[in-house]
Amino acid sequence: MSNKAPKVVIELKVNGEEHDILVPPHLTLLEALREKLELTGTKEGCGEGVCGSCTVLMDGRPVRSCLTLAVEAVGHEITTIEGLAGPEGLHRLQDSFVRHGAIQCGFCTPGMILTAKALLDEIPRPGEQEAREAIAANICRCTGYTKIVEAIVAAGGDDDA
Amino acid sequence: MMPDYKHIGRSVPRVDSRARATGEVKFSGDLIFPRMLVGKVLRSPHAHARILNIDTSRAERLRGVKTVVTGRDTAGVKWGVFPYTRDMQMLQIDKARYIGDEVAAVAAVDEDTALEALRLIDVDYEILPGVFTIDEALADDAPLVHEDYPGNRNVEVNIDVGDVDEALEKSHLVRTDTFIAPEDDYFMGEPYAVVVRPDTDGNLEIWCPNAGPHMKSKPLSNVLRLPLNKVKVRKVAIGGAFGGRSEISPADFICSLMALKSGRPVKIVYTREENTTCVRQGHGMVTKHITGMDRDGRVTARSSISYLDGGAYSSTGPIAVSVPFLCHEQTYRLDNARFHGVRVYTNKPVRGMIRIHGRSFAAGVDMQLDMMAEELGLDPVEVRLINARRPGEYTATKSYVGSCGLTECVEKTVERSDFKKKHGKLPPYRGIGLGMNSVQTGFPLGIRGGSQAIIKFNEDGGVTIISGVVDNGQGNDNMLVQIAAEELGLEMTDIELITADTEVTPNDPGSYSMVTTFAGGNAVRLAAADAKRQIFEVAAEKLEANPADLIAADRKVFVKGSPDRGLPLAKVLRMALIQGRPILGQGSFSPKVDHRREWVSNPQGQLSEAFSFGATVCEVDVDPETGLVEVLDVWAAQDCGFAINPMVVEGQFEGSVAMGGQGGMLTEFHSWNDGRCLNTTQLEYKVPLAVDMPPIDPIIVETIDPSGPYGAKEAGMSVAMSAAQAYACAIANAIGCWIKEFPITPDKIVEAIEHKKRGDFDSNG
Repeated sequence: MSNKAPKVVIELKVNGEEHDILVPPHLTLLEALREKLELTGTKEGCGEGVCGSCTVLMDGRPVRSCLTLAVEAVGHEITTIEGLAGPEGLHRLQDSFVRHGAIQCGFCTPGMILTAKALLDEIPRPGEQEAREAIAANICRCTGYTKIVEAIVAAGGDDDA
Repeated sequence: MMPDYKHIGRSVPRVDSRARATGEVKFSGDLIFPRMLVGKVLRSPHAHARILNIDTSRAERLRGVKTVVTGRDTAGVKWGVFPYTRDMQMLQIDKARYIGDEVAAVAAVDEDTALEALRLIDVDYEILPGVFTIDEALADDAPLVHEDYPGNRNVEVNIDVGDVDEALEKSHLVRTDTFIAPEDDYFMGEPYAVVVRPDTDGNLEIWCPNAGPHMKSKPLSNVLRLPLNKVKVRKVAIGGAFGGRSEISPADFICSLMALKSGRPVKIVYTREENTTCVRQGHGMVTKHITGMDRDGRVTARSSISYLDGGAYSSTGPIAVSVPFLCHEQTYRLDNARFHGVRVYTNKPVRGMIRIHGRSFAAGVDMQLDMMAEELGLDPVEVRLINARRPGEYTATKSYVGSCGLTECVEKTVERSDFKKKHGKLPPYRGIGLGMNSVQTGFPLGIRGGSQAIIKFNEDGGVTIISGVVDNGQGNDNMLVQIAAEELGLEMTDIELITADTEVTPNDPGSYSMVTTFAGGNAVRLAAADAKRQIFEVAAEKLEANPADLIAADRKVFVKGSPDRGLPLAKVLRMALIQGRPILGQGSFSPKVDHRREWVSNPQGQLSEAFSFGATVCEVDVDPETGLVEVLDVWAAQDCGFAINPMVVEGQFEGSVAMGGQGGMLTEFHSWNDGRCLNTTQLEYKVPLAVDMPPIDPIIVETIDPSGPYGAKEAGMSVAMSAAQAYACAIANAIGCWIKEFPITPDKIVEAIEHKKRGDFDSNG
């Protein structure tokens, strides 16, 4: 046990709440969210930054939480899928995913929705190709992506999305 | 005319989607229990090795390690899907048969400790020579993967109908072609995970991805030697299956064993690599089709020989060998048919059923039909239609086909794609192709073939459905709610579900033989009808009406034609309670199949009560310099009987095109260095991305099957299969030569085009 680096206390700001947690320095942000904060909406699909299931927003930008160390997230605002819905209900992207049948098994959904949120924050009314390119690094094995792309475009497109 | 349905036949959002959109839904790996341990499995690094000794003492002494298990801790029971295929221990005792085979496991307080403990387990192996290809396994002096299976021949299926030899002799044209496809894989979103919580009374609660909880609990009770009611497989969200969650996993057993031994909850979460190599893969397969045809394009006979690389254990072997042929005999009329299928053991990961199972067989059939049509100067669509299955016929192995919309599927895809105007008339390196397929709606599953459901009414008129149906992500839960709401005249929000929990929910065949809507949907429909009958009996007395004249709608019971002569449902339920007649509906549905049918010993008789049919057309543009294929458009049609939720059915079609066509025919295959899989993650194994996918026109064809719930059958898998076939034929049409090794990757295309330019492309090769 002596070769292990000592644990450190860090402050993570997640979904607007601050948390002090004790972590080994090699702990990933994904592990910190899931195991220390029990925010299990963020998924591990591959653990090597390929599938996009673990995507969270760091200061509004999508990052792979499996490739990000928890200590790197200190001082940044982290948003997970649990932080998206507000007191008034689902975020319009979540609602659009539900209504367009864009969710099958739902394992990729949190990462997909957060990636889409970063897109909508940058390009409020994305076209189909922009939506496709934005989620090009988020793998979905169930849907063939058609309804996901429709849901993203609709969420950006008009008021009743 | 279609009845006026309120809930079914409509594209309503799935009841389970909101929890999936918020991250609230729990997959197995998300579960957290007090004092839960982390389990890790030590796997064989050798493809074939005798286990001489395992020393776990150093691991056991490590601080934080709570339990270590090896084969010595087991009862040594071998598992197999069939009594004659019991060849797999969950922790190996004598030898390891593939890289990844389970040898030992630890449960510790955290992952770092568990991983460190694995490194402290000393295993002495005697490395044995292995077999890594079908040819190696079948060689005369090949090492044996299992000593009791001579020649490494695991399962053999023989079907011989009519007089194939005579029909081939009399045929106008006979072609012999061999089609090859290596292993493919599921890459479901969720890597395998299992959590087991024990209690002091010897109960085990188990959460894991599954394609049928009852298909997990019974084998687990067998290998653990525990009564079935102590092995409680609980409902949990499941991140995709595609055929890869059908059996118990060694992880289920190992996790249970460590939970029992430690007395604490244990969680095992597979890495992506483990999910690829240690769950299941698709079979590698070689198929030779010898097909005879008359002058008009009618197939006179077909003899097919398939060899499947099954990996180290039997898994669903007898089913896996048979299904490629069976899909084909359903799709095409065939009086003279012969099939010889052999599943071979190799020292590679275990192979099971997959959504495009037998792609070399299926794509081979359609590609060869195109070849023969070309030789005879016939239209490929006409050749397909002249041979296409029609309703009211029997398959070669004597399954009656009731509803069948195959011709309509072909006609619609051909019409919408303008196939006839395009085929043979497109610019160079543009092509169009057609594929056709048919899939079962259930298999003969013996005592596990039927589904039962219970519908419990609460005093306020709300309902709880209790059903064994499992949802792997395809929308089965919502299907049950739509059906119950329709039958009972309720809103979907009035209905809650208890499903897929072996302690509470009755028997169900599971979702892997495409039977859930057919069996589980029918059971819920019948349970609702039973509840409604009881409600009408109570209401009829008060309304002074005949129960047969009552209907339920809008949360009310009233006399047909007199909406003002009615009672609120909640009132009827309270009346029923006062009378001591609480409303509890029961339904049971077992598909009518021939239970004497057996995959190996008796492959004839009714296989499935209903069959789905699909046709896909695909148009491609090939870059002759790079060999890259751009898919311009896909038209996918399926006779799913009746679309209970068209939006969900379309989603199945679209996902099927992605897995079957785009991935299955263009990019997806495993590569090997002997027994070592070289592409275990999505980094090297190329599944389709959003930017890869073409526009898809999903075409729902409804034939209203007489036995399906409201006419519904299977939805999606016929598209996955026919899409693979359409892609293969479209590429051949674009480049003017037939590539018979799948998937059709750019290197093969460039090579074929070069050979064609030099004039030495051998289409008979």
